[in-house]
Amino acid sequence: MSTFDIEFAAVTDIGKIREKNEDNVLISSDLGLGVVADGMGGHSAGEIASSIAVSVLAETIRKINSGSMQIPETFLPKLAPTERKLLMAANLANAAIYSTAQSSDVYKMMGTTLTGVLFDKDCAIAVHVGDSRIYLYREGKIIQITTDHSLAMEHVRRGLLSKADADKSKIQNVLTRAMGIKKNIEFDLLKFPIKAGDVLVLCSDGLYKGLTEQAIADILSKEKDLPIVKLCKHLVRVSNERDGQDNISAVVIKIMQPQKVSFGQRVRNLFSRSS
Amino acid sequence: MLDGQSLIGKEISGCEILTKVAEGGMGAVFKARHKALNRIVCVKILSPALANDKKAVTLFLTEARAIAELDHPNIVNVYNVGKEQGYYFIVMSFVEGQTLSAMLKKERVLPIGRVLDLFDGVLKGLSVAHEKGIIHRDIKPSNILITPEGRPKIVDFGIAKKVDKEKGSTKTTELAGTAYFIAPEQALGKDIDTRSDLYSVGASMYYVLTGHFPYNGKNTIEIIQKHINEPVPDPSKLRTDLPGWLSLAIQKLMSKNPDERFQTAKEVYTYFNKMRAEEQLRVQTMHGRATVNLGIESSLKIAKEEKHSTDSIRKMRGEDVYRAISSRFTKPGPKTPTQIPQLDELSADSGNKPPKSAPPLAPTQELVPPKEVKQTTVPSVSSALAAINMRRQAQKLVQLILLLPLFLAFTLACGYVFFSLGKICSTYVSDTSSFLYALFSPVISGQMAQGQLLYSLLAVVALVAIFAISFVRVYSKNSILLMAFSFVSYLAGLFTPDVTFGAEQISSYLFSSEYYLCYLALAIAWVMSILFRFNRTWPERILGTSLILLCGVLAYKASVLSIPPNLDAAFVKILLACAVLFAIMAIYYLISTSEHSMILPTVCLLASVGCFYFYNISGMVHNLYTTTMTLAEVIPMPEPTSEQKKALENEMFLTVSARNMMSGFAATKAINYMSPEEKQKTLNEWIDRYAGALIPEDARPILVELLSVYYMNGKARLSFRAWDYAISFPIYNFNRNARNNNAYPFLVIVLFLMAGLNCMGGILFKEDL
Repeated sequence: MSTFDIEFAAVTDIGKIREKNEDNVLISSDLGLGVVADGMGGHSAGEIASSIAVSVLAETIRKINSGSMQIPETFLPKLAPTERKLLMAANLANAAIYSTAQSSDVYKMMGTTLTGVLFDKDCAIAVHVGDSRIYLYREGKIIQITTDHSLAMEHVRRGLLSKADADKSKIQNVLTRAMGIKKNIEFDLLKFPIKAGDVLVLCSDGLYKGLTEQAIADILSKEKDLPIVKLCKHLVRVSNERDGQDNISAVVIKIMQPQKVSFGQRVRNLFSRSS
Repeated sequence: MLDGQSLIGKEISGCEILTKVAEGGMGAVFKARHKALNRIVCVKILSPALANDKKAVTLFLTEARAIAELDHPNIVNVYNVGKEQGYYFIVMSFVEGQTLSAMLKKERVLPIGRVLDLFDGVLKGLSVAHEKGIIHRDIKPSNILITPEGRPKIVDFGIAKKVDKEKGSTKTTELAGTAYFIAPEQALGKDIDTRSDLYSVGASMYYVLTGHFPYNGKNTIEIIQKHINEPVPDPSKLRTDLPGWLSLAIQKLMSKNPDERFQTAKEVYTYFNKMRAEEQLRVQTMHGRATVNLGIESSLKIAKEEKHSTDSIRKMRGEDVYRAISSRFTKPGPKTPTQIPQLDELSADSGNKPPKSAPPLAPTQELVPPKEVKQTTVPSVSSALAAINMRRQAQKLVQLILLLPLFLAFTLACGYVFFSLGKICSTYVSDTSSFLYALFSPVISGQMAQGQLLYSLLAVVALVAIFAISFVRVYSKNSILLMAFSFVSYLAGLFTPDVTFGAEQISSYLFSSEYYLCYLALAIAWVMSILFRFNRTWPERILGTSLILLCGVLAYKASVLSIPPNLDAAFVKILLACAVLFAIMAIYYLISTSEHSMILPTVCLLASVGCFYFYNISGMVHNLYTTTMTLAEVIPMPEPTSEQKKALENEMFLTVSARNMMSGFAATKAINYMSPEEKQKTLNEWIDRYAGALIPEDARPILVELLSVYYMNGKARLSFRAWDYAISFPIYNFNRNARNNNAYPFLVIVLFLMAGLNCMGGILFKEDL
C-alpha cells in the first residue's frame, strides 16, 4: 500500500444520446486501485466486456494480496511484485473477456479499453490499453500519462496527422489495441512517482471529448477545495454539457500527506499482513 | 445463434441452408439451395450482434438493395434481401470458383495478360457501382471471385463495413479496409470517394503481379502508415517482365493524392485496353512472325526469359510508357518484342484454364492482415528488464553487505543483554526452586541484585527493538528466531552462568535427552518459520511436514523417562491419540493453502508436542501418586491433641489461612498442627519407620512434600502437585545437567547461526510478493 493517504472518487454517466452506458469504473481504497474501462461491441456486449475487465482485475489483485492466488514464477519474473500483480490481473481480465467473446456470437466483437492505476508506496503503477486516459495534475500543470492506442494517435505519433486533425478524424474511434480482441495483448505498463497534492484523473474518451486537457486543469485548480466526489461529478457534468455524445466516466484520485494514524489503526496495522 | 450449426437445415426466404462457407465479424455466409428455382445460392446473414442496431440494419438493407440494382456480370448478383425468423439476410448468386488470392497462391505467377483481363472485369464492375455512388471500400484479391469460366466477380460490397463506419463514434478495433490495400485517405480517416477503390485496385494489381504486398510491416499500423507515408513502390523492380506502361499505371493508381490518380474506373480500363492494343499492334507490325511462334509457349517460360532483361531495357520501356500516359515525355524508346507473345498467349490461355474445383470462397471480412506479427505480452517494458534485473542484483548485494552484519551485531547485542541479565538473576536460583519460579525470580523477589535494573531495562529495549525490527522488510522473518535466541541466552545465563564451552563435552552428549530437547526447540523454531510464510511452495510444505514428524519424535525422545507411561489410565491413551491427531492436523493445515494456515498449524504443532510430553511423564505422575497414597495408608496419623488445637485457635484470630486450613479433612491430622520444620522431620521419621528400605534416598524429599500436601489439601491437590513436579522434572533435570553438557551454549550458537542464515537467505532470495 501507499505511504500516502489516497482518496478515490468515481463517476460514470450515460451521456446525452447513448442508449446504454458501456463504461465501467471501479475504485478500491483497500487495494489502492482505480480503474476505468470503456466497452465496445454491439448489443450489451460492451457493458459486459468492461464490467468483466474491472471486476476480474480487482478480484485478481485481491486474491493475489490475500495469497489465495499465486503469480506463476515464470510470469515476467524480473518485474517488481506490484507490477507483476497488475499485469497478471490485466492479462487474466483479457483472457476472461476473450473467452466470453468466443463463447457466443452475440459477444463475438466485444472488447474494452482498460486503464487502471495501482498504488505502491510512493509510486503509481498504471496499466493501459485503449483510448481511455490518465491525467496527472501536479502544481497547476496537467500532463497526459498514457498514450491512446487509437489509429489516429498512432498517426499523430508518426507525424502523419496533426493533433487537431486527429480530433476530427473519422478513425479516432479505431483502436489499435483493446482487451478481449486477442488472446494475448500488449499492455502499456507505466510507473511514475507520486507526491502529496497530486491529482490523478482516469477517464474514458467521453470525458476528454468534452473537456480539453487545459479545461480539466482549470477545473482542478479552481475547485481544488471541493470534496473529491463533488469534483469528480463536476468534471463529468461539465463534459456532458459541452459534448455528451458518448458515455462519460471519470475516476479522480487525490494524493495527500498521510494523516495521523489513530491508536486503534496502529494496532490493526500491527496485525495486518506485511505485504 | 450463428456460431453453432443451428441454422443448417433451416429455411430462410425459400432457401434451404446447406453448409457454412465462411464467417466474418459482421455475419456468416452459408451455401444454400433455392427450393423454387432448385439452384445453389449464397445466403449472408447479419451477425445477431448487429441485428438490434436499427441504424446498422437500415444500412445493411439499403446497401444490399442498391447492389441488387447493379446487376452486372462482374458483380455478384443479389436476389433477395430482408428479414426472416429474426435474421437479416441477403441471398446472392453462388459463385463456383475461387478468389483471386487463392488462385495466386496456387499458381504463384499469373501471366500479365491474364491479370489484365481479370482487372478489366473488376474495373468494369466497379465502374458501374461507382456510377451508382457505391464505394466498395475493401477491394482486395480475396474479394474478387473467379468463376470457372474465368470471369471475375466482385463480392462483399462493404455492407458491414459501411455499417461500422456510419455508427460513427462507436469504438472498434477494425478499420474499414484491409491494411495491405488501403488507400491513404481511408487510413487517415478522411472522406473517401470512388478513387479510394482505385487505389486499392492498384495495390491489388501490384500484389497479384509481383506476389508481394506493396507495403509490408510488422503490424497493421506500420503497414497502414506506410500507405500514408512511403513512396509508391515500383512493381517492375519485382517483376521484370512487366511492361513499363503497366508499372507506371499501377504507380499512378497508387498515388497518395487522389487527384493524381486515374479519376474513374472507366478511365483505367479504357487506358489499359488502349495500351494493350497499341502494343500488340506495334509488335505485330515490327515482329509479326514472332507473335505466332511464341504464342504457343507457356507463360512461365516467358516470364523466366523476361527475368533476364536488363535494367536498361526496362528503363527505356518505362520512359516509353510514361510518354504514352502523360505525353509529358519526349524520349521514345524501342519496344521489346518479348511482351507480345505473353499477351497473346494470355488471352488464349485464360479461356483454356480448367475450372478449379476449389471451395467457393465467400466474402470474408477479416480486416487485420493475415501475417499479423505475434506480439509479446509486454514488449513496452521488456527492454528495461535487463537493466532492472542488474540493478536488483546489485541492490541485493549491497543489502547483504550492509544489512547482514548489522543484523548479526544486533543479534549478538540482544544475546549479550539477555545472557547478562540471566547471569545477574542466577543468584536467585537454587537447586530446589522450580523452573517457572527460577524464570521469574528476578521479578518476584523484592530486592534487586547489582546491575539488575540496568540490564532489565536493556532487555526491555532489546525486546522492543526485536518487535520493531519485524516491521523492517528484510528482517521481518527473523523476529521469532531472534526471540528464541534471546530467551535461550537468558536461560543460559540463568542456569549455567559459569560454564565454559568445550566441544568435546558436546560431542559426548549429542544424543542425550537434554540435547533432544534442544533439537526440539530448534525444530519447532524452524517449522514455525515455515508456518509463518504465505504461499508456501511444495518443497517448503514437504520440509515442514517432515519437520513436524521430527518434532513429534523429538518431543517423545526429550521427555522419555525411566518410568514407562501409565497406560492403565484411559486419559493417557487419549493423550497419545491427541498427540498423533494434532500432529496430523498440523501437517494438514501446513499443506492446505488456506489463509488461516499460519496460526492453526502452529497451535496444533505445539499441542502435539505438549501431548507427547504429558504422555511420557504420566508414568512418573502415577508412580508418585500411588506411592504417596500407599504411604498415607501405611502411616497411622494420630488425631491432633487438644493442646495443639488450642494453640492454633489462638492464631486463628490472626491469620485467615489458618481458619481455612482447619476445616474438614486437614483438621483431623495432627501433622498439620506442627511447624514446617517439625512437619518435615516427623514425616521423614515416619517414612523411615514404615517404609524405610523401599524408598530411595533421592526420592525422599519429594515424597515428604507430597505427603504433607496430601495431609493438608487432600487427593485432588496431591494429584495436581504430582503433575506439577513431573512436568518440571525434565526441565529441572535439563538445567541440572546443563552445567556439565553445555546444552545452553550449544543452543545459543546454533540459534545464532540459524538467525544469520535466515537473514542472509531473506535478503538474497526474497521474492517480493
